[in-house]
Amino acid sequence: MEFIVAKYNYWIYIILMMIGFYAMIAKKNLIKKIIGMNIFQTAIILFFVSTAYKKGATLPILTNADAHGEHAIAVAQYLNPLPHVLMLTAIVVMVATLGVALAIAIMIYRRYGTLNEDEILKAIK
Amino acid sequence: MTEQAPILIVVIPLICALLTPLVGWLRKSFCYPWVILSLAISTICSLLVLNTVIHQGVIHYYLGGWLPPWGIEYVVDHLNALMLVLVSGSALLVAIYSKKSLEQEIPDKIVYFYTVFLLQVTGFLGIVITGDLFNLYVFLEVASLAGYALIAIGEDGAELASFRYVVLGTVGACFYLLAVGYLYIVTGSLNMADLSRILPELYGSRVVLVAFAFFLVGIALKMALFPLHVWLPDAYTKAPSTASLLLAPLMTKVAIYVMIRIMFTVFKPHFSIELLPVTQIMLWIGIIAIFAGAIMALAQVDFKRMLCYIIVAEVGYMVGGIGVANAVAIKGAILHIMNDVVMTLGLFAVAGIISYKMRHHNLSDFSGLFKKMPFTMAALVTVALSIVGVPPTCGFFSKWYLIQGAIMAGSWVFVVALLFSSLINVILFFRIFEIGYYSFNETDEAHGHGHGESAVINEAPLSMLIPTCIVAALIILIGLYNQPILVNIIQFAVPKL
Amino acid sequence: MKFLSFIVTVLTGAVLIYGTLDMPDWGDPNSPASRHVSPRYITKTEVETATPNMVTSVLADYRGYDTLGETTVIFTAGVSCILLLRRRKNKG
Repeated sequence: MEFIVAKYNYWIYIILMMIGFYAMIAKKNLIKKIIGMNIFQTAIILFFVSTAYKKGATLPILTNADAHGEHAIAVAQYLNPLPHVLMLTAIVVMVATLGVALAIAIMIYRRYGTLNEDEILKAIK
Repeated sequence: MTEQAPILIVVIPLICALLTPLVGWLRKSFCYPWVILSLAISTICSLLVLNTVIHQGVIHYYLGGWLPPWGIEYVVDHLNALMLVLVSGSALLVAIYSKKSLEQEIPDKIVYFYTVFLLQVTGFLGIVITGDLFNLYVFLEVASLAGYALIAIGEDGAELASFRYVVLGTVGACFYLLAVGYLYIVTGSLNMADLSRILPELYGSRVVLVAFAFFLVGIALKMALFPLHVWLPDAYTKAPSTASLLLAPLMTKVAIYVMIRIMFTVFKPHFSIELLPVTQIMLWIGIIAIFAGAIMALAQVDFKRMLCYIIVAEVGYMVGGIGVANAVAIKGAILHIMNDVVMTLGLFAVAGIISYKMRHHNLSDFSGLFKKMPFTMAALVTVALSIVGVPPTCGFFSKWYLIQGAIMAGSWVFVVALLFSSLINVILFFRIFEIGYYSFNETDEAHGHGHGESAVINEAPLSMLIPTCIVAALIILIGLYNQPILVNIIQFAVPKL
Repeated sequence: MKFLSFIVTVLTGAVLIYGTLDMPDWGDPNSPASRHVSPRYITKTEVETATPNMVTSVLADYRGYDTLGETTVIFTAGVSCILLLRRRKNKG
């Protein structure tokens, strides 16, 4: 039981990732694939951010007392800032990929009038 | 000034890409010389960096002045420097080639095409030069996004091909990010050199094992390793000629470079070769890729699609060469990276010229071309001889080292696969030469010799022909000078096993 | 086809969960990630960058180049959308 409590944050995000991954590769509608891609990438971001947590720690912003250098800064008191930073970049990358994928979906819709992969393949042949 | 050269290689195309819409707004015809100027400066800087690395050893460049692992660093060693010259040089040749082809295929989108073109080159250069894993992810995404856009504006069916590439490419990049995350969770560092120092005591950990697996699967999606190659034929066939000329030689080879970095710099060769049976698996996947690529190439009637399956087979050579895992075979694989960039450039350049003249790129469009386009066909003959592996072209030497390494390791199936592939390439290209030598055009026969267009030379425009001939000349030069290149550069790029 | 995708998904999830078995517990203040690189960001942020917000100092100073890459990604996406979607109005 303790084992599950110690690791459950990783597992719920992995299950969320796999839901998104399945939607990406198994569905035939282009918009469902894009939504699956979004779920997959969001779950990865949440997975990373959850690893930054420390028990009893506060946000990674220096309090007034620590900022004026009155005493040594306790590292265990602040959350790890590095995953937050990396994930800010990853969120931007996710949004950019979403934008380009939707633009391509619009192009496909203008051209073929449908968003179902099987029908588009038939129309191309 | 030369100590800032590593960062200039990446930053100059980036800033020029940001300014290209402005330049295009001033006057559209300025874009072409602007792109050539920025890529020329980048190529000169990468040649300077190569020169420095040959004479002084590995270059470390700390961005922002922060030492690693707290800041990001650029590490340029021999493998890096060679890849930088290849990427920037190829991009320069493609830029020179691009003018007429773009005016014919996508005349209303030239300014933004050149912007995305420069961003694509920035992405590749950023991937190749960096020493930080997360920085690599960011530039991998820049290159991928630019690639999706460049492919989607092509001919019929290009949009769906690009969409499939979006889905598979995002899966690959996300697997790479997951792997970086797993390594970060157990080590706390993102810097490649730092990780190679910390990881050896963690080699028994499950996290590291899973991270290694996800790195390789993610990168295999990007390098179109069989059976994850399904996005490549449609995407590169239907893209505009210039886009496939830029993407086809470079994307897969940059991904192979990333794989070599991860397998031999981040994870020591001891882990990749001895502790895990990864190299045996890679050898067999390489062999299957060679057979599959060669057989599927035989079945194609579209010239560009045939070239795409040749790329799949070439990736099989390189992955199999690394899978053989001795120094000679890895030397052959790295030499083959260089040769394959040049050979694929040549092939797709000829395909682009055919597209420009004939508006299609089928095998039947080659009929009678030996008389009509002698220079283009001469270049094609040179590239074809190199793909088959005939001395003194460069393709012979890399195949020679791969076969030698395979014999030394006892991997006879790999030797058979390489020879089989050469045989299939002979069939593929001599089929084209036969179509090119005899013209099957009915009007020529009706008018007889001396009349009609069969005797007139209708050669490609100079801006497309000159890069093609430069590539053909490079193939022979690299072949003749392969010993100095091996001794000065590639020998140091092979990891110590 | 859907069955094959399901098998691949379950396999990937299983491998990922297998990988988490050796990971540090959630919220552990002594995990390797909290001991190696980030303590310097936490202790020296005021001294070296004069910013009390550690995320800002890492984003803009220590790893500022990644932020440049991120803005490049946004620019690439924007220009790609123009390249893909813009239609010239037909003349006449």
